[in-house]
Amino acid sequence: MLGQFLINGIITGILYSLLAIGFALVYNTTKLFHIVAAAIYVFSAFMFYLFAVTLGLPILVAAFVTILLTMGLSLLTDVSVYRPLKKRKASGNVTMIASIGMMIAIVNLLVMFFGTGEKSIKTAVCSSFSIGSLNVSIPQLWQLVVGVFVIVVFLLLINITNWGIRLRVLSEGGGLNENSGDNMSNTRTMVFLLSGAFIAISACLSLYDISFSPYMGIEVFITAIVAMFIGGVGRYGTCVLGGIILGVLQAVTSYYLSSSWNNAVTFILLLIILFLRPQGIAGYKKQTV
Amino acid sequence: MDYLMHIGIMLCIYIILVLSTNLTVGMANLLTLCQAAFYGIGAYIGTYFLMQFNLPFIVIALLVMLVTGLTSLVISIASVKLKGDHFILATLGFQMIVYTILYNWVSVTGGSYGIPGIPSIKLMGIWGIHSIQAYFVFVLAVTLLVIVFFSRVQRSSYSRFLKAICGDDISPQASERNETRMKISFFFISAAFSGLAGLIYASYISYIDPTGFTFAESVFIITALFIGGVSKRVWGPIVGAAVVVIFTELFRFVGFPDAMAANLRQVIYGLVLIVLMLVRPQGLLGDAKLK
Repeated sequence: MLGQFLINGIITGILYSLLAIGFALVYNTTKLFHIVAAAIYVFSAFMFYLFAVTLGLPILVAAFVTILLTMGLSLLTDVSVYRPLKKRKASGNVTMIASIGMMIAIVNLLVMFFGTGEKSIKTAVCSSFSIGSLNVSIPQLWQLVVGVFVIVVFLLLINITNWGIRLRVLSEGGGLNENSGDNMSNTRTMVFLLSGAFIAISACLSLYDISFSPYMGIEVFITAIVAMFIGGVGRYGTCVLGGIILGVLQAVTSYYLSSSWNNAVTFILLLIILFLRPQGIAGYKKQTV
Repeated sequence: MDYLMHIGIMLCIYIILVLSTNLTVGMANLLTLCQAAFYGIGAYIGTYFLMQFNLPFIVIALLVMLVTGLTSLVISIASVKLKGDHFILATLGFQMIVYTILYNWVSVTGGSYGIPGIPSIKLMGIWGIHSIQAYFVFVLAVTLLVIVFFSRVQRSSYSRFLKAICGDDISPQASERNETRMKISFFFISAAFSGLAGLIYASYISYIDPTGFTFAESVFIITALFIGGVSKRVWGPIVGAAVVVIFTELFRFVGFPDAMAANLRQVIYGLVLIVLMLVRPQGLLGDAKLK
């Protein structure tokens, strides 16, 4: 029985990892506490629901359109709010308040149109297969395969391609600023687009399996932020480490206590890590200039 | 008339909450996302004292403020050890942990069912305050005292001294100990008065459940603060609380369906926050620049 929980935990962890990478892309390069990404995640899930269920498009088409729209919204948050703030030399806290403002506005706008009820795209009872006593449903298998594939491709790309190496150097160092070259604006655009794509992929995959409600979405995203900080700031593989640790930890908590204690356990782990190892388990130590 | 008094009482509660938040954000420049946690701790502890003991209000209030203030030590220790985003994340963590405990520790907090039938406060242990008129007068008096207290604290030479040494232009070694002391005392006061607001709320509504003390509530308090303005004086926070509470009530008369109205209001708050941060980051009446 515990094995079953562990499998579920790892799969949930993969979904957290995708979101954590989406957050880390922005956080590591621009140092923005991009909390509006939680609302972007909710947006993405609702769009997927809209296209796949309400409009009845094929799943893959729906996912594709969702990813494009989410990338657009992600870029929009940067262009409409972050960049003007940066121009005014706003401080980190001011930018974070603006980000919270965007989160409140977007989530509540979505709730006005879609309601707070749980959304699910499941049309039939899903078949599943078992290995020994372990049960893996087909949607879960998809989550595992697509999630791992996307993460592996991303980690390879940032190690091979020029652009990827540039991104990594930016993330490990001081982040994007005026010193980092002429095409700063382009890199920033790419980062936000890519972040949107990761968030959308995770949203589509998770909605494909379980039902979704906006407030749950925000909680899931905050967990993903925690996963990034636990894994380590400044790198991307660490997001996967943190994501899977949290996924498994939550599964174990659900097994021994109850899933309603998940948040407490998650944040206690976060506090322990912040106090003992502020850079995260495998993060780079922050250089303060 | 009763309705106006109800609004008045809620306004007083929010004035206390926003003033408490202003103390740490405005004076110590530390943004927190856990004010609702202290509010909730105060409400639950206050409920416990109200239901178990027949004590006069002033004793219960002091007990609640002391205990809630002590819980703030978690945050002040975090504020000494952690910087920037890490600190904000820790306050968010504290908020989530407190909410989860309130929600799950059913045998003590009643879980999602909450605690009904909280007795009203008794001034000297004998005279209970039952009518809404009496309650309004009482809460108003308490709030005025709190306002006077905060304006004193924020103007006192002690806190000006502390604020001065908190600036970047003095050597960190020299100011470190004083800075720690400042953070501990500001967080203590801030939490204690949020706890007082919780006690007033619990005894007024006579029913509490965890949904009043969520992360969203913390964000709501922060919203009120930033609309009013982070300030060294007390007017910013008072105006902020007044704007959000009165705006909430006015919205009821516009004629949207109830469920829609709540969300539309939130959308407007969100947009106002964005515009404020772009145009006037210190808020309507604020004077302290947030670093």
